[in-house]
Amino acid sequence: MQTLSAASTAGVLLDLSGVLILLLAFACLGSKLFNRYVAYYGAQSVVLSFAAGVAAFTFHSVELWILAVATLAIKGIGIPVSARRLLVQRLELSRDTALSTGLSTSLIAGGALTAFAYLVTRPQLLPHGVVAAAVVPLSTAVILLGGLAMVVRRHTVAQLIGWLIVENGVFLGAITLVATFPFIVEAGIFLDLVAGVLIMLVFVSGLTRRLASASAAELRELHG
Amino acid sequence: MIIAVILAAAGPLAGTLAAAGGARARQAGWAGAAGAGVALGSAVYLLAAQLHHAPLRGWGGFLYVDSLSCFFLLTVAGVTLLAAVGSVAYLSAEEDSGRLSRFQVRLYFIFFGLFASLMLASFETGNLGLLFVLIEASTLASAALVGLEARASSLEAAWKYVIISSFGVTIALAGTLWLFYSASSLHLAPDLRLTWPYLFIHAHALAPQSLRLAFLLAVVGYGTKVGLAPMHTWLPDAHAEAPSPASAMLSAALLNTGMYAIIRFLAITRARLGDGYPRGVLLAFGFASIVIGVLFMVRRGNFKRLFAYSSVEHMGIIAIALGFGGVLGMYGALLQILNHAIAKAVLFLSSGDVALRYQTREAAGVRGLLAAAPVTGAALLLASFAALGAPPFGVFLSELTIVRAGFAAASPVFPLLLLAMLAVAFVAFARTTAAMVTGEALPSPSPYRGRGAGLAAVAPLAVGLAALLVLGLWIPAGLNAVILHSVGFLT
Repeated sequence: MQTLSAASTAGVLLDLSGVLILLLAFACLGSKLFNRYVAYYGAQSVVLSFAAGVAAFTFHSVELWILAVATLAIKGIGIPVSARRLLVQRLELSRDTALSTGLSTSLIAGGALTAFAYLVTRPQLLPHGVVAAAVVPLSTAVILLGGLAMVVRRHTVAQLIGWLIVENGVFLGAITLVATFPFIVEAGIFLDLVAGVLIMLVFVSGLTRRLASASAAELRELHG
Repeated sequence: MIIAVILAAAGPLAGTLAAAGGARARQAGWAGAAGAGVALGSAVYLLAAQLHHAPLRGWGGFLYVDSLSCFFLLTVAGVTLLAAVGSVAYLSAEEDSGRLSRFQVRLYFIFFGLFASLMLASFETGNLGLLFVLIEASTLASAALVGLEARASSLEAAWKYVIISSFGVTIALAGTLWLFYSASSLHLAPDLRLTWPYLFIHAHALAPQSLRLAFLLAVVGYGTKVGLAPMHTWLPDAHAEAPSPASAMLSAALLNTGMYAIIRFLAITRARLGDGYPRGVLLAFGFASIVIGVLFMVRRGNFKRLFAYSSVEHMGIIAIALGFGGVLGMYGALLQILNHAIAKAVLFLSSGDVALRYQTREAAGVRGLLAAAPVTGAALLLASFAALGAPPFGVFLSELTIVRAGFAAASPVFPLLLLAMLAVAFVAFARTTAAMVTGEALPSPSPYRGRGAGLAAVAPLAVGLAALLVLGLWIPAGLNAVILHSVGFLT
């Protein structure tokens, strides 16, 4: 069984990447501008691909190298660039006004969720020595923060970014298990993500054309 | 054997290929129906073969077909066949009237086939990661069906559906990850780490704490797809806005696919943690779903929303049956899955016929259906009673089994509460559908051109009702054996 201790260089780098990813999720939660959302998500994905690269280097795993490169190319560059072109420039979205709580409230809630993530993923939950255990609560916190962003933001684009952050959190949790999550599964998850973003972008632009702004706050027709 | 496995999953793609090649509604529809027929035939063959053989394995655990898979293949392939035939009538009527463009019709058949294939394939894999991939992909394929009509309300429903379901399924992926963590002390080859049969055999060695979290996350995540309350909010919108045959697929096939994933997690959890914990989780979500479903059924309005809330209620009943557990509970749950699927397919297909005739989805706009369109009216009425659990239809038998399982397994409070909710559901549901079928007929021209389309509208209703009646009176020996076999290793 391959192990990864927290004291090794790779372990430290992975922990550091996890912390950066969490901070970028907070940055996204504390922002009000659409191009910032996209930029923070892109930066988060770049850090994630770095983490995958570290894991790949440590375990000499070709598959993880492929995933790291794909993460960088698609999540780090492809999605942010195309999202910026399509949504921010073509649909002329700049400020997100459809927040259901103030920024400070959502940041405090985010802090509480992070504490909660550390409470539920106590180290004794995890088998010893197999995974970079410190990354697991971080990844749980990122998942929860992404969910929070989807709840407090009512704009469809912001919800899409929230889902992508949740996805990044799960991916972070998966690479800590390095070299064991079957490659076909990882690749399939990736394909789903890309297809999901494409389909959602179609709906977002469709909704933007129908409604003045594609805010879920205006999605009131269906109820009961 | 392998050929049957491939055909069972890939059959419905015939419609996709035909539509991609530029066929019109009628040809693409019949191609899809033929493909669904092939899939159903293969499922029956696999089921018969499964009775005498060990589970089929291959490709490093990515392929795994056991009796539970066969049961779900049969259910979903059967529903796909009914809905595919219904699609011929519905889509060619919409195309002829010009309400849907040729492009939209092609899009419908492309995604219909893809959606059905992905669901069928998800029953054939033993790898829980791949199961996630296929279920998420089926969400994406069906989102296009929900938003097909491109009105503001259908785009809204599609958005709600795709974002809530994708988020939910991602939570289920986190659950899968925790299951993976809990198995990390096992010395299995990397490929087999997420493989269900191996995890199930070695369940006793899984780390209990992380398994608890894994099960909860899986129920919440896949429960979003099943439509368990409080994660059901996408369900009524998506069912109401999709074209009716697609609603039938959502209600009768997609929800069951989510339930299948939950059953796989349940089997492992029960083997490791015993009855208590999974029962608590499933009863909580099950009763929440029944209460929410029944409360919203009292409201009179859009009849497709009514059927959708009835699905929420039925999924709650199934979750409760799984929670009761034991041979009776599991048997009742599987039987209920099959019966509900057929009843809901017939209900949504007949609602499609009604929507085409009256151009409304409001129950208040429909009267005298029995006089105006006797076959549709009778099918709607009978399928309502079947769905509500009136004898002699199959749902009566399965609900009776579930209530008996409840008395055998847990405190009598739960089955009594279940019976009370079923009674309220009966009144709430029947008062809407009864008002639709009785009374003086409103003028309603037949929306179908040609005998083929008219037949395609009526045939699935008749076949579905006949199947429900048969299942209420007699369960075929092969089906019974497969259910008992699945129950045998699940309990």
